Amino acid sequence: MLSIKNLHASVEEKNILKGLDLEIKPGEVHAIMGPNGAGKSTLGYVLTGREGYSVEQGSATLDGVDLLALEAEERARAGLFLAFQYPVEIPGVSNLEFLKASVDAVREARGEESLSSKDFLKMAREASKKVNLPADFLKRGVNEGFSGGEKKRNEILQMLLLKPKLCILDESDSGLDIDALQVVAEGVNSQRSPDRSFIVVTHYQRLLDYIKPDFVHVLSDGKIVKSGDYSLAHELESQGYAWLKDQPAADEVAEG
Amino acid sequence: MSSWLSSAVTRAEAVSDWLAPQRQASLALLRDAKWPTRKTEAWKYLPINVWDNTELQADAAESTDATSGVIEGLNSLDLVFVNGQLQSVPGDDLPAGLTVVSLADASGDARAWAAETFTAVKPARHLFGLVNDVLATQGVLIDVAAAAVIEQPIRIVNVLTKGYEAHTRVLVRLGEHAKATVIEHYVGDQRSKNTGFAEYKVGDSAYLEHYRFALQSGESLSIGGSHFELSARAELSSHLVGFGSTLQRVDVDVTHAGEHAFAKLNAIYLLDGKELFDLHSTIEHAVPNGTTEENVRGIVADNSRAVFNGRIHIHRGAQKTLAELNNRNLLMSDRAEINTKPELEIYADDVRCAHGATIAEIDKKALYYMQSRGVSRSQAQIMLNFGFINELVDQMPNQVLADWLRPQLRDRFAGMEVK
Repeated sequence: MLSIKNLHASVEEKNILKGLDLEIKPGEVHAIMGPNGAGKSTLGYVLTGREGYSVEQGSATLDGVDLLALEAEERARAGLFLAFQYPVEIPGVSNLEFLKASVDAVREARGEESLSSKDFLKMAREASKKVNLPADFLKRGVNEGFSGGEKKRNEILQMLLLKPKLCILDESDSGLDIDALQVVAEGVNSQRSPDRSFIVVTHYQRLLDYIKPDFVHVLSDGKIVKSGDYSLAHELESQGYAWLKDQPAADEVAEG
Repeated sequence: MSSWLSSAVTRAEAVSDWLAPQRQASLALLRDAKWPTRKTEAWKYLPINVWDNTELQADAAESTDATSGVIEGLNSLDLVFVNGQLQSVPGDDLPAGLTVVSLADASGDARAWAAETFTAVKPARHLFGLVNDVLATQGVLIDVAAAAVIEQPIRIVNVLTKGYEAHTRVLVRLGEHAKATVIEHYVGDQRSKNTGFAEYKVGDSAYLEHYRFALQSGESLSIGGSHFELSARAELSSHLVGFGSTLQRVDVDVTHAGEHAFAKLNAIYLLDGKELFDLHSTIEHAVPNGTTEENVRGIVADNSRAVFNGRIHIHRGAQKTLAELNNRNLLMSDRAEINTKPELEIYADDVRCAHGATIAEIDKKALYYMQSRGVSRSQAQIMLNFGFINELVDQMPNQVLADWLRPQLRDRFAGMEVK
């Protein structure tokens, strides 16, 4: 489904991703862990087309579609979704209006009919219930005055409505108490299906106890330096990342 | 002296209607007036020479498009000026308590209060206010009797077409406990010049809902203002919407003349291309216990330029005044320009006042966030801009007007680009 090959990317002329490879098949859940500054958030931004992030080398395709050639909105319409670490507040634009515009755009791209306002409202209310957000949050400005946990749940709400093919969760667990964490995890688990894949970016194993990944990767200095199954997350939790310093990076090994 | 101004003075000298005595002082001031330069504070950011340098050429083939001024569903009482000529004044079927006469036809009592109101609401008038004083022979007098509640909105439409110069005056008097809605509506996008001023005297405990739609655009040159004098416990809810044009300035001035008056002033301006829009506002708190809430928001795109000069003057002894002035701007391009200057002058010690001005670029993070959900960049931009402005549109008491405006605002946003 997602195929990333030798991806090099930079922000403000600083190289962040330095040859990242990742293959994700339909239905798989991949966790990406790693120390601060490794490039975990950058990966999400580069894939979704954030301004200021430039790709120097490599490729990223979603079901064969060259993501890097598309505008940000086209990537979303192609089925890519990023749950933001820091969701943006937009006063003056109601959550409902925003959600409707998003769903309309994505449905249109899929060749589906647009929903009537009434049907959409019903759908949005049901989804709000699932993520435990009161329905009046739909009327408020997008994320305006939401607590950290409410913002994260609003991200999951958007995911439920947009039904993307590939979801990237960027530290969706940060700043959440255990109840909110469960809501987020349940939202994700309810969407797991043979034709939908996830990248779960996190610092902690805790989220992965709820969303059990098929694979765990360690991202360090812009590359994936170690991959394994779910047990790797436990290993990292107990050992930390200090061992990374002692281990030569993959390209150095190759050159050596 | 500018050639246009000397011709205006010459034309003014030939005016000999019943208001001539009221025009004399202004004429004397105009004779000595200097054409503003870039050093003239009141005109500093508006290239006023454009007015002087613009030649008007009437085009016989150009038909008057009075339909552009229609507001569907409003059911207003319309007073229409086409190129400065008042088309007709409604006859006897007016709501009880409302009197409307043309300036030319005024007699008796109407002349008396009109003469009193003519320049008194705003005594210190700028150059074009003086020009309007001496040249506005066309106008309407609107008199709302004490305790009369006029439900039907009164709309004064000014349609300007190519090649015309027009000077119109509106005088409005609301008696004690009277209620009325007055809409000043300016339309036209062709090369024309006009000054349009309205003077309002709002009586004790009266309520005035006011709209000024300064929607002249394109090549039109327009300078005007709405001046209000509020008596005790009077309430004003005023809403200005301005589109820019080759040259445009509006002055919204309020004097709290009686205690416990309340003024809500909202203003929106949306500029694109090379448009100009200058909003000057002066609030005089001459007495204690007055309240002013002023919110001004603008979006300025491409090469356009906005000027906002908002002054709140709290006189000695005007204790317990509450005054807030807020100007927020959204800059859509790095070539667009905003000159904002909120001023508070306070000579009383027991008042609560706040003022602020901000200039921001469109929130790129918000744009990306919306794009990342599939919303196109252009639609995201429209939604963001609309959200910024819509907060003030939502505050318009008249829903028909708000509903009529929203699609026009959306259209205007649709043309704007982030550069």
